[in-house]
Amino acid sequence: MSVILESTSTSATMRRNFWQGVWRVMKRKPSRMVGVVIILGFAFMGIFGPMFYPDILPDNANAITQPPSWEHWFGTDPQGRDVVALVVKGSRYVLLSAAVTAVITVVVGTGLGLFSGFKRGRWDTVLMRVTDMKLTIPGLPLLLVLATVWKFGNPFQMGLVLGLLGWGGVARAVRAQTLSLRERGFIEAARGLGLSTTHIVGKELLPSMAPYIAMNMLIAVTGAVYAQVGLFFLGVLPYESDNWGVMLNLAVFQAGAMIQPYALGYLLAPLLAILLLTLGIVLVVDAMDEIFNPRLREE
Amino acid sequence: MAKQAPGVRIDGLTVVYKTPAGELPAVRDVSLELKPGTITGIVGESGSGKSTMALSLLNAVQPPGRIQHGSVEIDGLGDVAKFRGEELRKARGRHIGYVFQAAQNSLNPLKTVGKQLLDLGRSHGVEDLRALVREAKDLLGRMGLDGARVLDSHQHELSGGMRQRVGIMLALVLNAHLVVLDEPTTALDMITQSNILKIVREVHAERGLTTLVITHDIGVVAEVADRLAVMYGGRLVEQGPTREVLADPQHPYTRGLIRAIPRLVGDINEAQALPGRPPTLATVPKEGCVFRERCPLRMDVCDTVDPAAQAYGERIVACHAVDSAVKVPSREGEHA
Amino acid sequence: MITGKGITKTFKQRGSVLAGREVQALRGVDFEIPKGGAVSFIGESGCGKTTLGRIIAGLETYDGGEIGINGTLMSSLKQKQRQPYFRRIQMIHQDPYSALNPTRTIHQTLYAPLKLRAKQTGRDEKWIDERAAEVLSLVGLDPGSVLSRYPHQLSGGMRQRVVIARALTVDPEVLVADEAVSMIDVSLRLGILALLKDLRERLGVSVLFITHDVATSRYIGDDGEMYVIYRGQVVERGPVDTVIADPVHPYTQSLLSAIPVLHGLEEPGAQPVVPVEAMDGSQEAQGCLFASRCPFRQDRCETERPVLQVTEGAPQEHACFYPERRDVIARPMSGV
Repeated sequence: MSVILESTSTSATMRRNFWQGVWRVMKRKPSRMVGVVIILGFAFMGIFGPMFYPDILPDNANAITQPPSWEHWFGTDPQGRDVVALVVKGSRYVLLSAAVTAVITVVVGTGLGLFSGFKRGRWDTVLMRVTDMKLTIPGLPLLLVLATVWKFGNPFQMGLVLGLLGWGGVARAVRAQTLSLRERGFIEAARGLGLSTTHIVGKELLPSMAPYIAMNMLIAVTGAVYAQVGLFFLGVLPYESDNWGVMLNLAVFQAGAMIQPYALGYLLAPLLAILLLTLGIVLVVDAMDEIFNPRLREE
Repeated sequence: MAKQAPGVRIDGLTVVYKTPAGELPAVRDVSLELKPGTITGIVGESGSGKSTMALSLLNAVQPPGRIQHGSVEIDGLGDVAKFRGEELRKARGRHIGYVFQAAQNSLNPLKTVGKQLLDLGRSHGVEDLRALVREAKDLLGRMGLDGARVLDSHQHELSGGMRQRVGIMLALVLNAHLVVLDEPTTALDMITQSNILKIVREVHAERGLTTLVITHDIGVVAEVADRLAVMYGGRLVEQGPTREVLADPQHPYTRGLIRAIPRLVGDINEAQALPGRPPTLATVPKEGCVFRERCPLRMDVCDTVDPAAQAYGERIVACHAVDSAVKVPSREGEHA
Repeated sequence: MITGKGITKTFKQRGSVLAGREVQALRGVDFEIPKGGAVSFIGESGCGKTTLGRIIAGLETYDGGEIGINGTLMSSLKQKQRQPYFRRIQMIHQDPYSALNPTRTIHQTLYAPLKLRAKQTGRDEKWIDERAAEVLSLVGLDPGSVLSRYPHQLSGGMRQRVVIARALTVDPEVLVADEAVSMIDVSLRLGILALLKDLRERLGVSVLFITHDVATSRYIGDDGEMYVIYRGQVVERGPVDTVIADPVHPYTQSLLSAIPVLHGLEEPGAQPVVPVEAMDGSQEAQGCLFASRCPFRQDRCETERPVLQVTEGAPQEHACFYPERRDVIARPMSGV
């Protein structure tokens, strides 16, 4: 029978089917494709962008705070550096720390949520108390305090701190999902069949929560971008790193973008970058449900 | 206006649902008459279109569905299929009562039954709310419940059978005389089911109603209905007086359905499953008879021509085989 | 063989209103599921039949009593050691929609338990694929067309077959079917019932059938044993056909009386029994648990609780002080 031949290559076929399904889901609405293009664009910019520019951008005393022109699309900064180049160079820090935040948020939040919801009982109570306490910590003030002792020169440090501050919501949400899913027949059946807890959690529970987790991850990215840009903008962190927040801060407080129109490009460029990134994420989040639900994926 | 049991004439009703594959009919060219003061039962499996049909009676088919053709004439109201907005909202509740499935919690879990009753009264502009509550208590008392206690209860404090009775009360309290019950006993056990069916029968007679019962369970229809209509794949394949249809089903689907019911006595192996499976919206054949894939009497004509509903006395059947059997009496024996 | 002696289970209610109140789900139930045999539990919802089924399948703990699996007493084992015993008892859930993981294909669903099995018995991947195809063929599905599909691409009946196939992957001794056909289309139900019967005959698997639909429990075979359970107590027990045709306990009789009669085909029994009130599990009784609802109760029933005993001159046991045979079930009309 052909069945046996077929099923040996089943997992490869499955993977191909999955990506075909993803492609179908993405094609369904043009907005999703736009979102994907935006996100890929940002990823490209963060990874390869800085390579196109010298490590230290050249100053130009003759072109300080220029308005947008053909040469400098968004004008120049008070040191005469090209704003577009600054945005591109700043993107690496922003995106890298956002990615680190997202990974930590999702890994810690999902792990704790799953464990808590699946084990229930005493562990659940303790972990959820911890989560609740964590949720009561006001994020921004704490970051401000931390910033006085730690300089966050490295995007990994920034991502780590933001991630450790941000997993509470995900943990709660994943736990709630786990609690409702574990009552479902297929989980009970898996236990009745004697399948291992690793299998049940990894292969049965996790995929059912994938859209949830993916959405939370994407939203965590936006949150992290806002939080760090905010910190730099407030000026509580050192100026030496290339960062959109630093740009915003300098645009307002040094170049005076609020009063003089020449510096408007300097202010708008990082803002537009943040808006565009958020937009891209919002457009893609819309597809998550359909990507991970086989029924919606194929219809 | 003194109200009495209205008659209902559904004529050529087609309801379509918008899908990626175009608009597909969930109910196709169905004609059915509910005579005043009778109980009619519609029997069908999942995907037969029976619930869509019931919703059409209130013109409550939700997008992506819509009534494409046909009319639903209700005495004293007119063609409900043409009603819109406020006119439609008033007709529901006042003239047509709808009892939702017991299993689906159609009551608001956060409000007591009494509060929901008052909401219902207010939204229909009832002036004498006291009288409404009195009426509700009477009705609940009639169904063997302590009215005052039930009105003070939340949904979770009521058992399945009690909720179902509350549903019937809410459908009748505004003095509707046309009542639609959607799967009134699904998820209830036998004794509760038997009580609910008894109540449906009694209230129907006492208040002078026209009642439509939608169910997948022939037993339920057999217990309460005067007339039985069988739906399959969006078509009404057979209808007639309940006893006659049960005793002598004509359409092969009706026959198969009755034969598939395990009985309490006799050889259990006489019960036979129907081969194949019921069609879904997407798999219903575009032309020809909807049942032919599972039909033991399939003929060539079944593949191309959709059998028209033919009246044989009180009975209406849509089947080529039955048609030819009647025209050519000598073939009768083959199909019996 | 699975035996149970004096199984008890008490649930503590949670929530604000009923907090701390205890509900006795099972009050000392004895049962016996012979190897290759068939047993059915019937009763109203809330009678404890599902709880008992879940206990037997190892999905729920019990408070008192003893369960023996092939002679091994579960009380002599630690929690972890019981697992391989309970694995031989597989549950078929009521809802085939939630019993299969929607994100996994049928192949993946069957692969996981088979992989485990292969590891235990030292078999290879090829065996897994062959066995997957084999169990699907056993339940009447075509492996070629089903393996690569997701559950949502299958009908309710096919899903339930997959659920049964999945249970077969661990070579179970007992299948516990909890209302296994109640969510399946009427025309397909019989197919699933026939399949269970067939598996019993072909593989020697015992079947425990839990249902409120008495007629379907006949389908497991005429050598089956029926347990009628009321509020956690077995009130009547005997061969399926005897309990249905000649019930002596008033509760069994009221269950049977409540089954819809196919008027036109059947005549109702001459002495139907209707309980005088609805089940109220909150009231503890000193005497017979059914006394408050029993139309035949005597003074003794209020003060003393009857235990399961043998009926004189009849093959079944009952728990009633005044057992009497009554003619309650519908019978086919003569000439039909």
